[in-house]
Amino acid sequence: MQGSVTRQLRRDWLGMMAIAQRILLELWRRKVSLVCWAIFPASILIVNGLILTERSQLSTASAFAQSVPPCLVGTALFFSCLGGSIATIVAEREQRTLKQLLISPLRGTAYFLGIFLAYGAIGMGQTLLVYAIAAFTGSEFKGSLSLSLLIIGLSMMAYVGTGFCIGAKLARRTEDVNALIAALGVPLLLLSGAFIPIQFFPEALRQFARYNPIYHMIEALAAASVANFRMTDVAPHLLFLLSFTGLMVLCGWLAYRQMLSSERRS
Amino acid sequence: MLHIQNLYKSYGDRAVLQNLHLSIAPGEIYGLLGPNGAGKTTTIRILCNLLAADSGRVTLSGQPLSEATKPLIGLVPQENLQYASLTCEENLHFFARLYGRSRQQRKEQVPACLDAVGLRSRAKSPAETLSGGMKRRLSLAIALVHHPKLLILDEPTTGLDIEARIDLWRLIRQLQSQGMTILLTTHLLDEAERLCDRLGILKRGCLLAEGSLAELRQCITAQEIVIVRTAAEAAAIARAEALGFPHRRYGDDLAFWLPEPLEMKDIIDRFDGIPLESIARQPVRLEHIYDEVLRGESHERSQETPLPLEAIS
Repeated sequence: MQGSVTRQLRRDWLGMMAIAQRILLELWRRKVSLVCWAIFPASILIVNGLILTERSQLSTASAFAQSVPPCLVGTALFFSCLGGSIATIVAEREQRTLKQLLISPLRGTAYFLGIFLAYGAIGMGQTLLVYAIAAFTGSEFKGSLSLSLLIIGLSMMAYVGTGFCIGAKLARRTEDVNALIAALGVPLLLLSGAFIPIQFFPEALRQFARYNPIYHMIEALAAASVANFRMTDVAPHLLFLLSFTGLMVLCGWLAYRQMLSSERRS
Repeated sequence: MLHIQNLYKSYGDRAVLQNLHLSIAPGEIYGLLGPNGAGKTTTIRILCNLLAADSGRVTLSGQPLSEATKPLIGLVPQENLQYASLTCEENLHFFARLYGRSRQQRKEQVPACLDAVGLRSRAKSPAETLSGGMKRRLSLAIALVHHPKLLILDEPTTGLDIEARIDLWRLIRQLQSQGMTILLTTHLLDEAERLCDRLGILKRGCLLAEGSLAELRQCITAQEIVIVRTAAEAAAIARAEALGFPHRRYGDDLAFWLPEPLEMKDIIDRFDGIPLESIARQPVRLEHIYDEVLRGESHERSQETPLPLEAIS
C-alpha cells in the first residue's frame, strides 16, 4: 500500500516536472514571449516610477519602491501567470495534445502543479527583474521577505487557478485569450490601482476596488514591503487573498475536470 | 492479450456498441474495420480509459481496464499529437517522463525508439519541421516509448503518400516480429489485407464478421470475380443468372461471382452472343467481402429478420 503511494507520488512528481519543463522549453524556443515578459514589467515599473517621482514629489528610490507592488503582482504576474496558463490550456486543446496527455497516467494534480511551476518560474524571474531595477534606482527592500514571497506565491496561484477557470470554461481558441483578457482582465487591473493609485478614484469606484482581488494583492505586498510593517495592515488583504486563491484553485480544478470529461468524449 | 466481452455503450438513446465480443492473441495484428460511426473510435476510447463502458468486461493481460492498465497501451491517434516546437528527442523524453521513466531509463529508451522508427538522424529536429510521414513515425515512437504491450493504431496511414505508407507498413510488421500485439483500425482495405492476421467488421456497434482473410472468404460463395464491361448489361446479367453466377456492382463495375475458377476462354464461351467490351478476372479481395458483409447487414435490417452472426460469417 505504502509502496504504491510512493510510486504514485514519484510519478506525480515526474509528471509535474515534465509539464513545467516542457512549457518552459516551448517558451524558450519561441523566445519572443520570454523577452516580452521581461520588457513588460520593466517598462511598467520605469514608467510608473518616473510618473510617481514627478507627480508625488518623492525621491526616485521611494517612488520606484512604491511602484514595485502594483507593477509586480498587479500587472506582471497577471499577464504571465493568468495569460500564460490560459494560453497553455487553449494551445493544448487546439493542438489536441491534451488527448495524448489524457491517455497517459498523468494526473490532473500533476498537470495543474506543472503549469503553476512553469509560470511560477516565469513570475519569479519577473520578481527578480523588478526588484533588481528598483534596487538599481537606490530602492531598498525593508519589509518581510518571507511574507512578501508568500503574497507573491499566493498571487501566482490565484492567477493560475483563474487561468484554469477561463482556459477550461471560456476560451476555446487562441483568439479568445486576448479577447477575454481585454474584456475581463484590463478593467479589473485598472480598478485595482495597478496603473493609477485608487486615491485618485471616485468614491464609488474606490468601494468597488475593495472587492477586487488584484487590489488586495497589491495592498498586501505594499504593506508587507515597508520597514517595521504591522501585521494588522497586512492581515485583511492577506485573508482576502488567501480566500480568493483557495476559491480560484477550487474553481480552476472543477473547470479543468469538466473540460477533461468533455475532451474525453470529443 | 485483450479480451472484450459483452461491451455495451450508448450515448443517450443511441447504442454505439452493442455487446461487442472480441479477443486478440499476443503478437497478433487485428484489424477493426467498419464505416464511420461503426463504433471503432468508441472501442478505442474505452480501451484507453477515456470513456467508461455502460456494461461489459475488458481485460488486458488478465487485468481489468483501469488507470493501472494505461501503461500497457500505446496509442497512435488519427492526428499527429505532438509538441511542434519540441524536437523529436524532447517529445519522446516528455512522454516517457509522463509514464514515470527515470533519466537513466530514458537515456536508453529514447534513442532505441528513434532507431526503431528510423528517426535517429532527425532526433534534434523540431517536430514542426518533419514531413507528414516522419510526423507519423514520431507518433509511433511516442506510443512505443513506454514499452506498451498493446499498440493501437487508429487509421495510421490516412493522409500519407504511398511511399510513407509502405514505410509505415514495414515498421508495423517489424514491431509484430518483435512480439508486439497490435489493434489497427483503417478504412483502407488493402492495408488491412496486407497487415492483419485477423479482421473484424463492425457496423452500428455490432461485430458482423470476424476471422482471418481465408475464413472471411467463406462469406462469399465466389471463388473468383469477373468484371465485365458491355453495352448489353441487362442481357449479360440475365445470362449470368441463368448460369448461376450472382452479380454485384462495385462502383461502376459490373461483377459476376464465379462459384469455381474458370479459364478465360470458358468464361467468354458462357457469354457467347453478348457483345463484351472487356472482361477481367479478379481474386476475391477483402473489399468484396467487406461489401458483402455490410450488404448482408443492410438486407437484414431492411427485412427486419435478424440473421445470426454465423449466417454471415
